[in-house]
Amino acid sequence: MMHAGEQRWEMLERIGSYAAGELGDEVALEVEHLVFERPEYGRLAESYARMLVMLSALGNEPVEAPEAVVGYAVRRAYVSAFMRRAEVFVGALGRSYIDAFVYYSGLRRESYGGGT
Amino acid sequence: MSSVPDQALAIRASRGDVEAFRVLVQKHSGLVYRVALRILGVEDAQDASQEVWIRVWRNIESFRRDSAFSTWLYRITVNTCLSVRRKESRRGEREYSGDEMPFLPEPPGGDADPEAAALGTERREEIQAALSHVRAEHRAALVLRHMEGLSYAEIAKVLEVPDGTAKGWVSRGRAAMLIALAEEDHGHEAGGPAR
Repeated sequence: MMHAGEQRWEMLERIGSYAAGELGDEVALEVEHLVFERPEYGRLAESYARMLVMLSALGNEPVEAPEAVVGYAVRRAYVSAFMRRAEVFVGALGRSYIDAFVYYSGLRRESYGGGT
Repeated sequence: MSSVPDQALAIRASRGDVEAFRVLVQKHSGLVYRVALRILGVEDAQDASQEVWIRVWRNIESFRRDSAFSTWLYRITVNTCLSVRRKESRRGEREYSGDEMPFLPEPPGGDADPEAAALGTERREEIQAALSHVRAEHRAALVLRHMEGLSYAEIAKVLEVPDGTAKGWVSRGRAAMLIALAEEDHGHEAGGPAR
């Protein structure tokens, strides 16, 4: 059995869904009856409607990110891309040095793919 | 390059093209900052936005081209904001005693009064303060639904939860927000901060 507090919370949520127009036809009709019959539910539905209008109005207001956000993100990306390229370059350079060292030290026989 | 679709820019950025990434940042920095601002408040929004773009650059190779870039960006933004909030204790969530219903006072000129409907600085601050008293996941869902206008299917994708959970979080967030906002209003009426 549901506790009285839970019932009130459920009603609070249900009227919120009603105010947001998110209930199916049948349930919406049920809630509508309650909203018209009981003044406190009617007032609650109006409060929700008012709040949703405010949220939507605030959501529609243009917000620009501070220039620092854009600048910082792009700078970080440039540094990261440079480091990636530098890593590839240094890696390739290192491999070339090792190959040259191995070649001049005669540590590896040249293979011509002609078998053993 | 700003007319190039996001998907193409993301592909180029994933190959190390910083210029393509720069265009993506310029096109979408407003979205990221706006969502961070609503979820975290003005103190943390800038740092969180910067963190989002670092994550985007690092993970752009994992962007799946079968979904919209904006959905993927919303996901990174919300996850970043929620991880910032998780580091803090659950602060100031308003409890609902269930004794009385939360009501908002009617504006002086009635609902039809455009001047009353316009959001003043004080009203904006009240909304932001009330949002901060809603549990972070529910707040994120509420912001995506009622401020960003996303569908429940989109919210579920962004939050990586089933549709039903997304609906439940929005519904709980809406109720908690009304309670917090009503308390903010009563606090102002009483001439002191709401606690």
